[in-house]
Amino acid sequence: MGINTQTKKKESQSPKILRFTKGERISHWVHALAFFLLLFTGLGILNPSFQPIMNVFGGIQIARLIHRGAAIVFVVIVGLMFVVGNPSHHWEWLKSVFKFTKSDWQHVRAFPKEFFGGHGDYPPQDKYNGGEKINSLITIFGSFFITLSGVVMWMAPWFPAGLVRWAYPVHDLSMFMMVAASLGHIYLGVLHPDSRAALPGMFSGYVSAKFARAHHALWYERVQNQQQKL
Amino acid sequence: MTRKMILVDTSKCTGCKACTVACKEWNELPAEKTQLVTSYQTQKDFSPKTWTYVTFIEKYKDQTMNFLMRKAQCFHCGDPACLKACSSKAIRQTESGFVVIDHKKCIGCGYCTENCPFGVPKVDQTLQKSFKCTGCIDRVENNLKPACVQTCQTGALMFGDYSDLLGQAKNRLSEVQKTHPQAQLYGEKEMGGTTYVYLLMDRPEVYGLPVNPTIPLSLTLWKDVVRPVGGIAVGGAAAAVVIGVFANIVKGSYRSKDD
Repeated sequence: MGINTQTKKKESQSPKILRFTKGERISHWVHALAFFLLLFTGLGILNPSFQPIMNVFGGIQIARLIHRGAAIVFVVIVGLMFVVGNPSHHWEWLKSVFKFTKSDWQHVRAFPKEFFGGHGDYPPQDKYNGGEKINSLITIFGSFFITLSGVVMWMAPWFPAGLVRWAYPVHDLSMFMMVAASLGHIYLGVLHPDSRAALPGMFSGYVSAKFARAHHALWYERVQNQQQKL
Repeated sequence: MTRKMILVDTSKCTGCKACTVACKEWNELPAEKTQLVTSYQTQKDFSPKTWTYVTFIEKYKDQTMNFLMRKAQCFHCGDPACLKACSSKAIRQTESGFVVIDHKKCIGCGYCTENCPFGVPKVDQTLQKSFKCTGCIDRVENNLKPACVQTCQTGALMFGDYSDLLGQAKNRLSEVQKTHPQAQLYGEKEMGGTTYVYLLMDRPEVYGLPVNPTIPLSLTLWKDVVRPVGGIAVGGAAAAVVIGVFANIVKGSYRSKDD
């Protein structure tokens, strides 16, 4: 919290623009924290060599219980954020990431160069660029399939063995995809020299106008026009 | 120790269930409340405390009824799906051919239960451990017969070296086939050759056994494709991040940009 206010003060001179509402930030962080709690409590069953680490949670049986508890938070709280409060931004995000445009593809093509610190050519991006859309899609499909397979694994006696058997590879595949995506996501948000300017957007909600203009010009222009009309 | 085999010759079984009692006694398993499943069968499925039971199929032909009886227990597969599925490396295969669960390592995840084509292992929900027939490995490794074999009065259960006993089983089969043309061996080829081999009086499906039991495709896909490919994907992502950080350090991007 202290960090947030500091950031605000420091940037109070330069113009800022609201990127993520409180609801969106809550969803993001509940999802992220539950995800990592789920990941770490699941490690013991992924590979027995991780089982000694499970003592951090009080043993593997406690870890398995925490895994189930975190799963409920992962699904229910984030699910609720799509209906309570002011969820319209959640739905806008969903709609936007499923609409993959030509300029999104161009961003994806330039992305590897950007990722390693170079500068690729791509047209002005909307609120979410091509790479962010792919990360969102991996998160959406990964969460969907890991939840379905998780329910089947949790309630295994209620389902035929033929279905439970398929839940295991689906659960693991979803996990691997989301872990790989989250590594890239954290790098871009925290360590990447250009894109880490996006990080305050997930704490205070605001990003610098300079960043918004440079990285999300379409979105920036639209918001500026809307504000001028008001 | 050489590869062992137990022949379950169902043509000699009288359905006395002494084997199920001997199993309970040797393994110190408490009795459970039974229920009438068919006219003589009193146990429907395995449980953490019941590792063997006898199934009774009633077969009607020419106004007469014949029982098809089969002692059910873990097959002790040559290529066990439970061992492949185990999350905790708690299942091992002995030289003698028995598949045993190490309860110190078992965490009760139930992956063995779901992947066994015969539905044998069962998890005790209180202990969070999986249980099944051990083949009385503690007896076998001390040159004793498994308890069920030891107690069998009719010779329906025989214990011996694999190659010897399989030869005997084939001789016995040709004899039984004279009166029961559908009779066949079950377990000789199934699941990589099981340690408990059956001489069945009829086709396996009549007994409710899977015709062609295999390691589930989902299990092979999971352990041999998803796991290694997923590991590479995560490792690749981690490597890309490390390279990215280094590339940016080398380019001096961290110094020049500060907003």
